[in-house]
Amino acid sequence: MSQIITLEQLKSLVDSLIKDGAKVAAPVVAENGRSFYQYLDDSSSMLLNGFNKSFNSIKEFFFPKHEVLYQFVRQENDVLLTDAVPFETSQYIFGARPCEAAALPILDPLFAWDYQDRFYQQRREKTTVISMACLESDSHCFCSAVGGSPENPNGSDVMLYDLGDGSFEVRCLTEKGKQLFNGKTNASDKTGTACSPPIKTFDIEKIQLWLKDKDHFNDPFWEEASLRCVGCGICTFVCPTCHCFDIVDEGSFKKGERVKNWDSCQSALFTLHASGHNPRSTQGQRQRQRITHKFSIYPDKFGVLLCSGCGNCSRHCSAALGVKPFLKTIEER
Amino acid sequence: MEQQLRETAKKLLTEKTVDVVIGYGRVESGQIGAIFVSNPDEVERLVWNQECRQNLVVYLTRKEVQKLGKAAIVVKGCDAKAIVVLANESQIKRDELVVIGMICNGIIEESQRTNGNPWADSNDSSNKLPIYEKCETCVEHQPKNVDIVIGDPAAANPDTLSKAERDQKGKYAKLAKLKAMTQEERFAYWKKEFSRCVKCYACRQNCPLCYCNQCVVDKNRPIRIDTSATLKGNFAWNILRAFHLAGRCVGCGACSSACPAGIDLDLLNLSLSIAAEDNFNFVSGKELGTAPLIGTFSENDREDFIR
Repeated sequence: MSQIITLEQLKSLVDSLIKDGAKVAAPVVAENGRSFYQYLDDSSSMLLNGFNKSFNSIKEFFFPKHEVLYQFVRQENDVLLTDAVPFETSQYIFGARPCEAAALPILDPLFAWDYQDRFYQQRREKTTVISMACLESDSHCFCSAVGGSPENPNGSDVMLYDLGDGSFEVRCLTEKGKQLFNGKTNASDKTGTACSPPIKTFDIEKIQLWLKDKDHFNDPFWEEASLRCVGCGICTFVCPTCHCFDIVDEGSFKKGERVKNWDSCQSALFTLHASGHNPRSTQGQRQRQRITHKFSIYPDKFGVLLCSGCGNCSRHCSAALGVKPFLKTIEER
Repeated sequence: MEQQLRETAKKLLTEKTVDVVIGYGRVESGQIGAIFVSNPDEVERLVWNQECRQNLVVYLTRKEVQKLGKAAIVVKGCDAKAIVVLANESQIKRDELVVIGMICNGIIEESQRTNGNPWADSNDSSNKLPIYEKCETCVEHQPKNVDIVIGDPAAANPDTLSKAERDQKGKYAKLAKLKAMTQEERFAYWKKEFSRCVKCYACRQNCPLCYCNQCVVDKNRPIRIDTSATLKGNFAWNILRAFHLAGRCVGCGACSSACPAGIDLDLLNLSLSIAAEDNFNFVSGKELGTAPLIGTFSENDREDFIR
């Protein structure tokens, strides 16, 4: 026996959560027809299927593009510091894609490594992720090549399966998920399925070996393959696992905020020293960093790949680059 | 056309007129991307079809690309105008560049971000996807100010379009709709759009005319534009960028096309382009040798304060 919920029931669940003061995020459609995640005012704009992926990934709700760390006010002989308000609201993300949810357990050890990042951790604790098993994949998807699948349970509290008749099969994966759907579903004999996994187009272990070989650090391949990269860093911003940030002070001399903003290893400024020297002075070196970090440095440190195979990097690249094209080229070498 | 392009490239490389041809090719993924062909035996990699969306002029000012030597570049009519501006602003030496202009009747609406359009499918350029919005009002089907024209000029759509007709179509119609709004409505529109901006600066990096060595937003002593992707920072950045392109933008649409959030950034630029045209009869990128609009002083200016 399976448990199912209708779209109407799901929507009234969303509305009741919002009414109770929770933050609920889900994909909506922008003016241009492109889907993206945002906090909902009510369930009417929520769109769970009918598209592959949203541009911004659910990373934004755990590690926002902009976050205030504390505020400062200069007083006569002192500086008054006020900590940011802790994240204490319950948060629910509906319609996450399994690859985006899978990015969360990948990032957890990073934000609990030498520094316990309470900003990330509080959001993690307060959030329930209700994922939607994929109904479609496109040519950019490669979850299967990095250990994922269209119904990868990692990082999700609930997996929904679209039954195509206005209802969803509900599979609760964690205690949080069970609590949310407790008493909200009906027993049924229908079961849902995800789409078939994208075809494995490269062998990740072979690529990891190539990356580990120090002789390949200065391989001309990096510069050649990166020649058409314009260095915009879209790949890092739309990536559910890229997590680099910059800390800046904004405001005036008298008062302001210390904030944490997303940053990108693809920008020249990222590594520019005050002296003017830049240890990563070319785009090839910057691309090498991104790929090596994802498939060699991070796995060495935390035991997991820093990639869930969502394909957002190449999906949004104006120069037709991204992880998949890079890895395919490396494999052919 | 593709064959004609390859033959031209082969001739240019074999006769050593240029060291490299910057053109479109089918890259690892099967998508169309920029390729840099230096070997005359590799001209077969060059392709031309309705998916050749990127404005390759952006590469002309990149150090890594300049290192490849004297270049020939494949452009569409809209892109060719950016070369004119770069030359007029002394960023490139026009006579050291060979510009190959393609007759273009419009590129297809981007398929790579829409769903269910696998890479493999992009080999088939016959599928009739809608023409990209900006191409609806194109008057550059026949590229101007180029050295070599590829394609049959007789097959090009007419490059005449009355203002009245133009304002009904594509980006112009979109802008007219915005301009018909009240100030509050318009502000609400941009607020909604800019709220999605993640400050990746893809608009800048993909713009052939954003060539500054150091962008004002990257200056941090002092910070003039908030780096934060807040509404304040996003408004400041996107409006500042539009102003820096006033009287310069050629409307190639590379910014909007690159924006992962799908913000119609080029509407800001278009608004300023129309202002330049209406007030100063100036169309950016039209003629080689003209001084930049913002850098020009005229005693006949209709404003009194300038005299």
